[in-house]
Amino acid sequence: MMRTTVSVLQCQVVEEDIEMSLGQLCQACGTDHRLVQQLVAHGVLQPRGEVPQAWIFVGDSLQRTRTALRLMHDLELNLPGAALAVDLLEQIERLQRELRTLTAAQSGG
Amino acid sequence: MQFKDYYQTLGVARDAGADAIKHAYRKLARKYHPDLNKEAEAEAKFKELGEAYEVLKDPEKRAAYDDVGKRWQGGADQPPPPDWNAGYEFQGGAPGMGDFGTGHSDFFEALFGQRAGGARARTQGMARGQDHHAKVLIDLLDAYRGAQRSIRLHAPALDAQGRLAMAERTLDVAIPVGVREGQHLRLAGQGTPGFDGGPAGDLYLEIGFHPHPLFRVDGRDVYLDLQVAPWEAALGASVDVPMPDGSVTLSIPAGSADGRKLRLKGKGIPGKTPGDLYVVLRIAMPCEAGAAQQQAWRDLAKAYGSGFDPRAAGEGK
Repeated sequence: MMRTTVSVLQCQVVEEDIEMSLGQLCQACGTDHRLVQQLVAHGVLQPRGEVPQAWIFVGDSLQRTRTALRLMHDLELNLPGAALAVDLLEQIERLQRELRTLTAAQSGG
Repeated sequence: MQFKDYYQTLGVARDAGADAIKHAYRKLARKYHPDLNKEAEAEAKFKELGEAYEVLKDPEKRAAYDDVGKRWQGGADQPPPPDWNAGYEFQGGAPGMGDFGTGHSDFFEALFGQRAGGARARTQGMARGQDHHAKVLIDLLDAYRGAQRSIRLHAPALDAQGRLAMAERTLDVAIPVGVREGQHLRLAGQGTPGFDGGPAGDLYLEIGFHPHPLFRVDGRDVYLDLQVAPWEAALGASVDVPMPDGSVTLSIPAGSADGRKLRLKGKGIPGKTPGDLYVVLRIAMPCEAGAAQQQAWRDLAKAYGSGFDPRAAGEGK
């Protein structure tokens, strides 16, 4: 096996520091413009900017795109189905967080 | 080498039709998909399902697999027959099994060969290399202090003779302070090399935290369950509390009930907007009581008299 070592690498936190264009997001997720545009049309992604050429993706866009693509591929879902699943998964996570907070508040002062 | 019973993995008969196989896979995949199922064993189970489906949905691969299965007498743990995997050739692109599906079993790779993860179509002229993704687990303390972590990645690459072989890369990565679970780090230029002088792709690392014995993390907030004695909760106390990066002395207010949350503002995961650390009080009962302690409880009961009924509405909360 070939072995190489690359020493200390600085990196950026995507969700905090990075703004991505449509092309960069596609490259990062290994997908094409058409699919990302459909994800925008279905509200999974909400970029800044009016037209695709000017779109800027920030925050959890990378994560949401990758989750949607995974679900489409792994579960053979169509795009509206994956969009719905991404939203529902986030809702479940939010509700679970609220439930944890409420349970703690209810059992104490 | 262990024989993998893909039919058993999907729970279908050996003569199952394509529709039955698809149906079984979809049902099980929904159950075990790591995006939907956060149980620890779900991911491994999903990988097995993906591998089984990848073979059984493809008539060419399924035929080869069935042929091997017939020759593989004597049970799953027996050594394979000689040349059991010779002579099969497969067309088509990379398996492309999503993020969780990468990493086939040895059995699969011996039968179908290793594929270049994301073997791309040959491009003419200059082209940028592909971006890669990997997951890395760090400690909670790394998010507080930053850290340098060595990350070992395996990926197929062309060797000096132009043959495809597994290559191991060790990256020393500076984990930035304040990174949270589920976030991604971008390492520019650490993806696939470019073609004909094109730039290399980037590497993305998804951050996960090792479970911590004391703290649990929720976004940028961190929670700690703190055991206190009944009298500490009743009378108030000053106690040393462990923090992910040290310790603080905390005043427990008198009259605290079990489950009370004390917020230490800004003591969660650091960042532009730092998280908070919540200390959740848990009132612990002393296990053993000698005569003196039993008397003390009796005195306590007498002191409260009928003034405290934990089963009355509103009390004991």
